[in-house]
Amino acid sequence: MTVTPSPDASPRSATPPTPTTVTTITTERRATERRATERRATERRATEHGGAEEDGALPGNGAHGGAFRDPGWWLTLLHNAFGRGFWGFLALALASAGACYTLLGRDVFLAALDAQAAALGSIAPRIVVALLVAGLLWVMLPRQRVAQLVGRDAGMRGLLIALAAGTLTPGGPTSAFALLAVLAGTGASRGVLITYITAWALLGVQRMVVWDVPLMGFDFSATRFLVSLPLPVLAGLIAMRLPVELRVGGAAPGKGER
Amino acid sequence: MSVGLAILLGLLLVLLALAARRGDGVLGRGLQRAIEQFAHLAPRLLGAMLAAGFLAPLLPREHVASLLGAEAGVQAVLVASLAGLLVPAGPVVAFPIAAVFAQSGASTPALVAFLTAWTLYAAHRIVLYEIPLVGVSFLRLRALSVALLPMLAGGIALFAGWCATLVAARPI
Repeated sequence: MTVTPSPDASPRSATPPTPTTVTTITTERRATERRATERRATERRATEHGGAEEDGALPGNGAHGGAFRDPGWWLTLLHNAFGRGFWGFLALALASAGACYTLLGRDVFLAALDAQAAALGSIAPRIVVALLVAGLLWVMLPRQRVAQLVGRDAGMRGLLIALAAGTLTPGGPTSAFALLAVLAGTGASRGVLITYITAWALLGVQRMVVWDVPLMGFDFSATRFLVSLPLPVLAGLIAMRLPVELRVGGAAPGKGER
Repeated sequence: MSVGLAILLGLLLVLLALAARRGDGVLGRGLQRAIEQFAHLAPRLLGAMLAAGFLAPLLPREHVASLLGAEAGVQAVLVASLAGLLVPAGPVVAFPIAAVFAQSGASTPALVAFLTAWTLYAAHRIVLYEIPLVGVSFLRLRALSVALLPMLAGGIALFAGWCATLVAARPI
């Protein structure tokens, strides 16, 4: 990932400046520098993190393998597994179990417990396999390269490429929105941006593999995928026609207030 | 073995073969990533599924069926689209809710609309990622561009199901 310095900074400073323009140029340059730093930070976030849906990846450990011999990694893992979120869900589970028992009686409670044991038995292996698939996809599908497929082509071709790229972008919102910010910075059209992020949200591989298939079954997942297939492009076409101002990516040419 | 598990296993075998052929430590990193994700998700999902499983019998079945069931048709799609907007959390919460709806008699089009509305408008994602990374003006454009999508997705699913019944009912 390379960050090209903003092209408008150097040619303008070639003209002999009057005292007033000097100050505007320095503030302008400072602004472009700040934007470049922000963009670099965004890209760094895109490479380092990822996460299933709620962040996920352990900071500092994601970049290299060989973490299994590091006791710190296991400790972070344990800490992460039984963090606040887990206790919240456990409390909710106990509260609803209590409500079920007191309101509906012992028989219904036991029947519910039985049904859940069966459901867990069928879902657990699917989740394990799904997470292995998602983990391998995460390290083998180069996210930046997928996002770089998306160009400035704003026509139907551009929207179709954005549809494919959004669908193939693995990982959760941390990576998808960071990549979206990078795309916006490179001047991709609004239709392309909307199609890309909508495709990720509706069709993204990770959601399909980790969530739809294990929890809703294959038939439902296939139905949802096929039904949603044309929708991101439609959203992109709508976005191109909406008279709504869009200000993203700072130095994006031909857009915004410049 | 279910079709879903069979497909996931097939996918896993293909990926394992590809990773082994590359042989540049990609297998270890993928495994590490999978373990990290499992540690993060499994305990939370277990809690969420237990909660959903005990709340399911408390839901009035006939109400869910009359609101989201196959007989409710277009209305089910509308109600489910609105319900999807009300889940301000990740998939750990949204998918168990969808599974409970499915057990209580919600139709496939309604579930498609529910999950579509949730994934497009999940509030936590907007607050934590969208606004900080691409800004409010993008959120406004996106929210307007995708506003009809949940109902459209449900509508297409409804139409597809209707076509399927027509085909099934055709005398041969």
